[in-house]
Amino acid sequence: MSFTPNIPNASVNKEYSYLITFPPIYHGIVISGIDKDEIGLEIESITENSFKIFGTPIKSGTIEIKVKYIQEGLFSNKSKEEIFELIINPDPRDLWKDLPVPDDIEYKKENEFTKCVIPQKEGLKNVIAASKRGRSHAQEAKSRDDHFKITFNPDNEWYILAVADGAGSAEFSREGARIACETVWEFCNQKLSENQDFDNAIIAYKQAADSKDEAKELEARKVIGNQLYSLLVMAAYKAHVAINKEATQKERQAKAYSTTLLLSVVKKFDFGWFTSAFWIGDGAICLFDMNNKTAKLLGIPDEGEYSGQTRFVTMSEVFTDSTALFKRLRFNIVDDFTALFLMSDGVSDPMFETDFNLNNYDKWVEFYKNITENQENPVDLSHEKSEEAKQALLNWLNFWSPGNHDDRTIAILY
Amino acid sequence: MRRLPVYILIDTSGSMKGEPIEAVKVCLSDMFSTLKNDPYSLETVWVSVITFNKEAQVLFPLTELDKIVVPKISVPDDGPTHIGRALELLCNQYDAEVRNTNVEQKGDWRPLLFILTDGKPSDILHYNNMVEEVKLRKFGNIFACAAGMKAKKEPLLQLTSNVLESASIDAGTFKQFFQYVSVTITEGGKSVQMTPDIDNPPEEIEIQLDF
Repeated sequence: MSFTPNIPNASVNKEYSYLITFPPIYHGIVISGIDKDEIGLEIESITENSFKIFGTPIKSGTIEIKVKYIQEGLFSNKSKEEIFELIINPDPRDLWKDLPVPDDIEYKKENEFTKCVIPQKEGLKNVIAASKRGRSHAQEAKSRDDHFKITFNPDNEWYILAVADGAGSAEFSREGARIACETVWEFCNQKLSENQDFDNAIIAYKQAADSKDEAKELEARKVIGNQLYSLLVMAAYKAHVAINKEATQKERQAKAYSTTLLLSVVKKFDFGWFTSAFWIGDGAICLFDMNNKTAKLLGIPDEGEYSGQTRFVTMSEVFTDSTALFKRLRFNIVDDFTALFLMSDGVSDPMFETDFNLNNYDKWVEFYKNITENQENPVDLSHEKSEEAKQALLNWLNFWSPGNHDDRTIAILY
Repeated sequence: MRRLPVYILIDTSGSMKGEPIEAVKVCLSDMFSTLKNDPYSLETVWVSVITFNKEAQVLFPLTELDKIVVPKISVPDDGPTHIGRALELLCNQYDAEVRNTNVEQKGDWRPLLFILTDGKPSDILHYNNMVEEVKLRKFGNIFACAAGMKAKKEPLLQLTSNVLESASIDAGTFKQFFQYVSVTITEGGKSVQMTPDIDNPPEEIEIQLDF
């Protein structure tokens, strides 16, 4: 019977310690093959028969540990030698390559982008957003597909927030996502600047809601619904058309530009914050309020058990059923809130995993703390720090989550 | 985290004794080392190896790639090849180990199954029943390798159309098979990560199955 220790694997950059104990018939044990300078591990004799292998490996590979010893026999002692293997795994962080995107690709886009919006008026909230190319794209010299656009218009005091996630499998989705954000922004910005109709409808709704007259409230709610429809749904439809146009011009299928869209327009009125959202595809929009302990998802992510597949702005079937489109609209009037989040699934998947968790307030508290109290890259969400916060948010997007390396984009109104 | 479970069934009947099984072990270790250098695989792939001769045995259960230490594989002198029994054990392991999606957690990606044999099922009736059982499980893809003159392709074809044939049982054959396995796994890992919204198996990879 030979002695076969099952030496557990070590990993680069992870502290390791293992005690190897030889049978008593082994004498004068001499171990070689563990070189601290080369592999980062060392060996120390604890007793005559047991040795501790410890340290933090610096290089991956299979190490051959040579063990020389003397085996006592009845008549004579035998000098013996055995070899054991110790496997040192690589650190996955070292394996991900960060390859630049070729210069000559169509629709070139920065690998990361960040922005902050600070309205110059007391009592208003700031917006920060960051977007970063995922490791899975960096590994293959592919472009970031996500996109965002955040603005505040000082003339009418409307915030417009748009986040789009180009489908990983669609070749030109990075442009689809860009067109989606730009188009919805342009449309909404123009509509909201044109006249006061929408603002008036919101004020009328608030009065109706305060009157406690249910019929009145319902009536006013319908008006808002219609207004929102012609604002947000039409904006998304414009994006759909614009992407189709680009695809047709390039003689491609619109599918090659597949992208999701998360869109929100927000304004502060005397009586509180009006927030609204329209959302096609996965990711998340959430109105988070620590004071009232609420986290309202402003829509339903298009995935789940049954569809098994997300929806995209590029799909014409999304725009054929107006009842279904109505169901995607959300609006709220609240006194105040902690933050409004818009994020691509590159963030929501690793952070929440399931729809159930997305609907769980406690998970949103965890999420919020993960951002603000992060050990490596905390983001200070106090108002006077917004300029610094946008860079911090970009750094925060580097968070490590095994198996989750998609592009990541997040916008926070706070 | 969504895991990509990989089950590998290895024939350890008498005819595999000696050089063939040693070659398999070396190829397995090489394959793990290759996979560990691919970041997709290192983070998502979990492997279990089941060996079979007269009996089927879990050599090691579903284990994270970086924790795998390949143990000794023992081979009896002779005896039948009970692939049916191996499939039965596989189904039991699948039921116990593969995670389904629940409210708080996304389930595993569809598992991959690889079978390596140098013979044919001696328990053909049981085998036929178990093939049906395997089909009830949601394997993303199944690949089989029939190595050596005595290996029969036909029973394996009931399980999958991806059957590799080789006339010899030697290190070269196993090396090619396990290289194929590792390419399939890494490509699979990549495709599941690149299309995170589709809860489907990794796409079937177009690789010429010629030896």
